[in-house]
Amino acid sequence: MSITKYLWVAIGLAVSATALPGTAEAQDCTTKIGAVLPTSVDWGRPIAETAQFAVDQVNAAGGAAGCQIEMVLRDTQVDPKVGVDAAKALVDLEGVKLLLGAVSSGVSMPILTSVTVPGDVVQMSCCSSSTAFTKLSEDGKTNGLWFRTFATTGVQSAVAAKVAADKGYKTVAVMYKNDDWGQDMARLIAADFAAVGVEVTASVAVNDGQPSYRAEVTEALASQPESLYLALYPAEGTAAVREWISLGGTQNMILANSLKSDEFRDNVGLQYLGATLGTDTASPRSESADAFRAAYVERFESEPNGPGLANSYDATMIALLAMEAAGKDASGSDIAAAIAKVTDPNGTPVSADTAGFSAAKDVLSGGGTVMYQGGTGNVRFDKNGDVSAPAVVWAFSEGGIEEVEYMSLNDVDAFITSLK
Amino acid sequence: MIGVMSYLVFFATTASILAIAVLGLNLQWGNTGLFNGGVVAFFGAGAYGTLILGGTSQEGHLGGFGVIYPLALLGGMAAAGLMAWIVGLLTLRLRHDYLAIATFGVAVAFENLMRNAEWLAGGAKGVRGFERPLRAALGDGFLYNILFFLVVLAILIATYLFLERLVASPFGRLLRAIREDEEAAQSLGKSPAKVRLTAFVTGSVILGLAGGLYGTFYAFVSPQDVLPTLTFQIWAMLIVGGAGNNRGAIFGAFLIWGAWTASGWALSRFAPIEAQLYTGSVQFVLIGSVIVGMLMWRPEGLLPERLVVSQRGSTPSNKQGE
Amino acid sequence: MIQNLIDGVLTGSYISLGAIGLTLVMHILRFANFSHAELLSLGAYVALVCDALVAALVPVFAVKLAPLSLTWALVLAILMSMVITGLSALLIDRLVFKRVREKGLELSMIFASFGMALIIRNVIGLFFGLSPQLYSRDIAFAMVLSRDPLLLVKPDQIFVLVAALLLMLMLHLLLSRTTFGYSLRAVAENPSLAQVNGVNLHRTIMAVWLIGGALAAVAGVFYGLSHQLIPVMGRDLLLPIFAATIVGGIGSVYGAVLGGFIVGIAGNMALVVLPSGYTPSVPFLLIIVVLMIRPHGLFGEARA
Repeated sequence: MSITKYLWVAIGLAVSATALPGTAEAQDCTTKIGAVLPTSVDWGRPIAETAQFAVDQVNAAGGAAGCQIEMVLRDTQVDPKVGVDAAKALVDLEGVKLLLGAVSSGVSMPILTSVTVPGDVVQMSCCSSSTAFTKLSEDGKTNGLWFRTFATTGVQSAVAAKVAADKGYKTVAVMYKNDDWGQDMARLIAADFAAVGVEVTASVAVNDGQPSYRAEVTEALASQPESLYLALYPAEGTAAVREWISLGGTQNMILANSLKSDEFRDNVGLQYLGATLGTDTASPRSESADAFRAAYVERFESEPNGPGLANSYDATMIALLAMEAAGKDASGSDIAAAIAKVTDPNGTPVSADTAGFSAAKDVLSGGGTVMYQGGTGNVRFDKNGDVSAPAVVWAFSEGGIEEVEYMSLNDVDAFITSLK
Repeated sequence: MIGVMSYLVFFATTASILAIAVLGLNLQWGNTGLFNGGVVAFFGAGAYGTLILGGTSQEGHLGGFGVIYPLALLGGMAAAGLMAWIVGLLTLRLRHDYLAIATFGVAVAFENLMRNAEWLAGGAKGVRGFERPLRAALGDGFLYNILFFLVVLAILIATYLFLERLVASPFGRLLRAIREDEEAAQSLGKSPAKVRLTAFVTGSVILGLAGGLYGTFYAFVSPQDVLPTLTFQIWAMLIVGGAGNNRGAIFGAFLIWGAWTASGWALSRFAPIEAQLYTGSVQFVLIGSVIVGMLMWRPEGLLPERLVVSQRGSTPSNKQGE
Repeated sequence: MIQNLIDGVLTGSYISLGAIGLTLVMHILRFANFSHAELLSLGAYVALVCDALVAALVPVFAVKLAPLSLTWALVLAILMSMVITGLSALLIDRLVFKRVREKGLELSMIFASFGMALIIRNVIGLFFGLSPQLYSRDIAFAMVLSRDPLLLVKPDQIFVLVAALLLMLMLHLLLSRTTFGYSLRAVAENPSLAQVNGVNLHRTIMAVWLIGGALAAVAGVFYGLSHQLIPVMGRDLLLPIFAATIVGGIGSVYGAVLGGFIVGIAGNMALVVLPSGYTPSVPFLLIIVVLMIRPHGLFGEARA
């Protein structure tokens, strides 16, 4: 019957398709790494571009573990099924030992539980923020294969509370993205504001993909706060803030790092952002720390300001450094184990660019360890694959974004302890 | 080669789970003519129900009942059925477009509830902490995936056989009679409302079964799993495969899911590096074009419904068709 | 509270415009057109291009009509976009929907429109990028109508409301006072009977697409003026527009207008009673409630 005919065609296609790899590349050695990122979403595409940028830099330094790196990029469409299937295809068909992604926790989590952990593949996410990963790791279910360069939300919310207290704000309204990250932020920030004596007058969830945010803004405005805290992404952040300002809302705003974006600044208008301060994790105070920014500006002709860009860069760089440290034909666990060698606080500092990668290669080949100083700071992972970092308070300026205050890792820790 | 096998098993598992869902929808639309635009709500009820019932205790939301797996799966199906019964009572008297939009609304509200009600199902973080059955004994490697696939395949075959029987039974004829001409059926003393509700609930229980298996496979479910895209995917599978034909439904599921994943794979493999970043959008354009092209070329689906007018077995061509 | 009501009316104006086109198409061509909302984004982006063109060719037109953030260039762009979007709708019908229609299966059209929506949305994304864009970056400040309770309205929104009402009035005259209006209604009632009586079915369908597309373009630009342009705006607006159409009753232009305002108001009032995370559910709860009471919408009629 016709069904069998179709089946044979399908099987034929599948076989001929899988027969293709292996024929082309014989001469140069190339190592594939996988990336599953939402390239069909507005904030996802730049994250993927930045990851590719890091790969290009590593290749300019002669590649990692003796081979050029090819990043095979797949779109997740922010659909868990699609993301998981793409990850599985990368692991099984392309044989990758290292997977970058995903962005949404809802996609990263099933990839972790059903693809990377069973397949012994390192999974390094730039941006999945859910606290569920920490719990999963504590339960011993990640096999140490899970890492993320997104500093846990605790640092951001604590620093935002500090900003509000320093500025002397008495009341604040909170608008947060209604996803796992936003819900976490809203919960943490409420506690931290309370701890420093700032009253939260309204806490408004902002859903994705709503045609209008007027009602949400009106709700926040009605509580007549002295300041506004925003944990939103640029698309809905721009819409909400334009609405907020046009309705005469206060310009005393505190922003999460997701709004540290030129696009946001330009679309809202610098003249309204004079009293606005943002929070972010920060680079350490060293000369090499500017390397990422400088190289990025040269390549993209804009500052690396947007949700997850620096995180994506660091995720890629650290993963490739670890690959270099683990040597040729390393398994996923080997690479995961090598991550400590490249983020060693006592190691030789290396900058986040081609030169830094070359320098790291020399150190690693001599049996030493390095301390990667990336776009988001001196990245260091704890046993659950979470990262902590120094913090910075920033403001928008003519030239882009400038730093207002720097808090070292110790300052941050001390301040967080004082809140308890 | 092991890699290819491993991937194909994984792919076939997902496709089989989706095929079960398409069978459920086929009972509702293909056989009864109910335009369910909220497929994902019933699928999601099954997934959430199974994971909450069968999962370990989680702080902050409902769960930790630790029910043994088969019962948890049944519980998930029951959750989907219960929801379908309530939704059906409220909406089934609406016709086509209205019913589609009303049920679509149910699905949006379901996603919304799961996203916001943290006390119920963890909010946007989703439900985790579910241990896949027998994982401790089998590990979670290739062996587990093969066995899991075989179980899913068995359930798919069982569902198929059940539906074939049902459709051939007097009840099945009644469903088609109501689909074709409700008033005529009513004049013969049948109660269309009751029959439609039965078909709607049965189809939704099957959708819930698929959802439960899906949640089990990933050991995780979050609001991102119950977005309207899934409704669209399952409908596309049914339309392309052939509404009204159970084999068409299964075939459509494998074909569309295959095309969906293969197009992503092909684009990442063959598109030039500069174009890689645009492949996401290009893939959606391709998917849209395939669907539109299919409807222009063969709107009745690849394996269309075979309408049986006379009694069973009376014509030789009929037997051949089996 | 009153502020929410006012906001709702203003939001309702562009939802209504979108719903009018959809209700006509759904009535005459008898299918739920999921790609209708993409005509809004198409119209909005076409106007963005035309606006830039006109402003570059005739710089005088780039001056703002205070207190609005509207320029003459954009006004011209809207008119151009109406024509282009209307013709695009016609072209899409010619290339796709007409052929699918002739194959004649009930659900084919709905799925074809779903496929078209995916195509249009992502082609726009490929051309214009995925980030938000604005007609004008300046923020138009709201006027204070009253201090206690605090009531705020933006001049742009008043313009949008007035323009939308004017368009609706024109459409009303067209439908109730012209032969074209009669033939439209005749086709909607019974296509074959209308044809027997000398109504050109083909031309009527063309007119429906042109009107629907043109109104969608205006709605898209008005939306962009009030908020921002983003390739997924069609997807975001689809549900409110469908809700408005269904609540009003398929086929009823007045129903669509009323439905648009109801959906707009309900969306804005929802926050008074519900936590903000639940807003996306509101249009649907509304649909279900309306359909429970009136299974064919407020102004819809039962038909086979």
